[in-house]
Amino acid sequence: MNDRRRVNGPPGGTRPPVYASLLETGTGAGDRSQRQRQPAELRKICMHDDNLSAPAYQTNLWHFRTSVLKTGLIPSASGSSYLEFEPSASLTAARANPKSLIPPSSALKLACTVHGPKPLPRSAAFSPNLVLTTHVKYAPFAARKRKGHVRDSSERDLGVHLETALRGAIIAERWPKSGLDITITILEAEDDRWWGDAPDSHDASWGMMNVLAGCISAASAAIADAHIDCLDLVAGGVAALVSNDSTNSSSSAPRLMLDADPAEHRSIVSACVVAYMPARDEITELWLKGDSSKASLAAGDQRTGHEALIDGAVDAARGAYTVLAEAVRESLQRAFDQS
Amino acid sequence: MVSAATVAPAAPQSLSLPPPQFARLQPHAYLLAHLSPPVASNQPSARANGRAPSQFRVTSANSGSLTHTNGSGMVRLGDTTAVCGVRAELLHTEDIPSWSVSQSSNANKRRRLADSIKLSGQSGDHEETEAEVEEDRAHIEDLNLLVPNLSLSTGCAPGFLPGAPPAALTQALSHKILSLLHSTRLVRAEDLRVWYQPPNLGPEELERHNDEEHMDVDADEAESKPAEIKAFWVLYIDIMIISLAGNPFDAAWMSVLTALRDTKLPKAWWDVDNETILCSDSIAESRKLSLRGLPIPSSFGVFEADAAAGWRAVVIPDGEKLKAEEKKGTVQKWILADPDGYEEGLSQERACIIVDKEQNGKTVIVSMEKHGGWTVDTEDLRQLVDISARRWDEMKQIMDQC
Repeated sequence: MNDRRRVNGPPGGTRPPVYASLLETGTGAGDRSQRQRQPAELRKICMHDDNLSAPAYQTNLWHFRTSVLKTGLIPSASGSSYLEFEPSASLTAARANPKSLIPPSSALKLACTVHGPKPLPRSAAFSPNLVLTTHVKYAPFAARKRKGHVRDSSERDLGVHLETALRGAIIAERWPKSGLDITITILEAEDDRWWGDAPDSHDASWGMMNVLAGCISAASAAIADAHIDCLDLVAGGVAALVSNDSTNSSSSAPRLMLDADPAEHRSIVSACVVAYMPARDEITELWLKGDSSKASLAAGDQRTGHEALIDGAVDAARGAYTVLAEAVRESLQRAFDQS
Repeated sequence: MVSAATVAPAAPQSLSLPPPQFARLQPHAYLLAHLSPPVASNQPSARANGRAPSQFRVTSANSGSLTHTNGSGMVRLGDTTAVCGVRAELLHTEDIPSWSVSQSSNANKRRRLADSIKLSGQSGDHEETEAEVEEDRAHIEDLNLLVPNLSLSTGCAPGFLPGAPPAALTQALSHKILSLLHSTRLVRAEDLRVWYQPPNLGPEELERHNDEEHMDVDADEAESKPAEIKAFWVLYIDIMIISLAGNPFDAAWMSVLTALRDTKLPKAWWDVDNETILCSDSIAESRKLSLRGLPIPSSFGVFEADAAAGWRAVVIPDGEKLKAEEKKGTVQKWILADPDGYEEGLSQERACIIVDKEQNGKTVIVSMEKHGGWTVDTEDLRQLVDISARRWDEMKQIMDQC
């Protein structure tokens, strides 16, 4: 059982710290961060302005002051990208004026590399198409709970979803007998719920859906950076039906929010991720989870809950697409400058 | 090159290769041509990447950007990028097999040592005694309180398959970092201990004293209520090499240093009612680790003009003449500081020197290793130590800024 190829901790195992403030229920847990954005407003992927105050851009891992969807940071790969979400207002406030060791929410940070197209190993069977391999791994320190070094089922699941999303966009028949490896390292993941909430029936891995949307956009930028022919850039988008009431009364039907941060809402009823190609108006991957039967939409809106949810996710993907296009333009500019 | 083009614009393309292709086809000759330019050209000797032989790549460090860590750091060494996150978890002493046994025997040993020191009358308050040093070592090393793991399977370079078990290089680097953490005694065991002072239960205690009046009360109190260690903090130090372009060790170690300097441990105490350790989430009550020193590594690769010369002299018996020539210094070599991926592939001999500086500015060599060849002699090593000392000043400045 002991993995001799890694440095192992104490054989008896260790326990994560328990904070005293969490045991005293209701007090000390602080306030849940509130969503500052409009329902249809996305979190910013880019634009850390130059005139922001110092702490605001220090939260950014690479200390970039401009775009945080960057390509070409990893020169040994054929294509690479790095994506970071703007931290929520509460996280920025907590950074600027630290009081508690428990972070109020987290901001997605991930790095993606593309290796290839490269010849398949001799032992591999003949393939007339490009063989796509996707690999998603959380860093051990990415989430609130420490992750292991070996991929678990959720990470493999993310890899499969990502592969489906990209396969529809890449023109695979142009590279027979070759392989393409896409690797994503998640340095900081999204929470599944607010840390102060007790687990309840609406719990699911909502954070994973936000992570998947980020993975799709980042991988798409990295593929474009590697100059691999695609039908279009694939953008990932998330929409969710959220209810801020703990009671399940019919008067407060869940409302539609684009790009919902699970840490900012009492409960997420249902969520949807799409991988969307705007130029062809085509969805390559759709993942809908939860109960979307009840939704409070605008008056006269005849759509059912899940239709509204999918439309919302597509809108979110369109928003991500503009950032993606900007990042790819930058990558091409760099390629022209070099040649 | 420009002048040549203007002189003969209509000349047909000769059999020449553009530099990137030359670099791929003849890497050794390419680097050699850069390092020993023709005398007539009047160019200084520089590496293919434009650096001088003893010049390091542009280094930057920043810390504290990862939310879910106790401390985090990122170091960029040119195109090599390492991200390190430190997570602290608690190891309860009740989870340690045979803790009470080893503890009581240690306590006896400590008492004996303390007695002997008292007898000889040379107890120093600020100087660490031998017993403390030994206890420090025993706690950190035997209980595995520092757990560094490096990961290269992040897609950082084409050679490392994601999802595969750790490659040889990964394991080597993880263990090098672990042994360096141990040998430099960077982290103090005292910072990682969670103490508990059992309360003095007044009336019962008094009764007992009344019963046993013959015992010395002061001595009894001191004996029966010593503070005990209830738990240790275990630091999981995970290093992800995001981008690999040579010299992963320097980048990884400096990211570990940055992260450890940033690490805050919450205040922890033993809660008698819950029989567990509780922590306070207040930043004001948390404390930073107090590290011992700042060991900074500098790695070097040796590039030889004719790599086989030395070996030939040994393998071929009548190579004595060659050997004599070599003695005269005809074999050319360059010691390249902070080799990038391209240069690492061309150098067999590597050296790594880790230095630290004391308060008074005296340079201390923490570790020195050299392997893979025999061209670097003691005189060269002395120069490398000087370069490393200069590097220390530079890195200290970078680390203090982040």
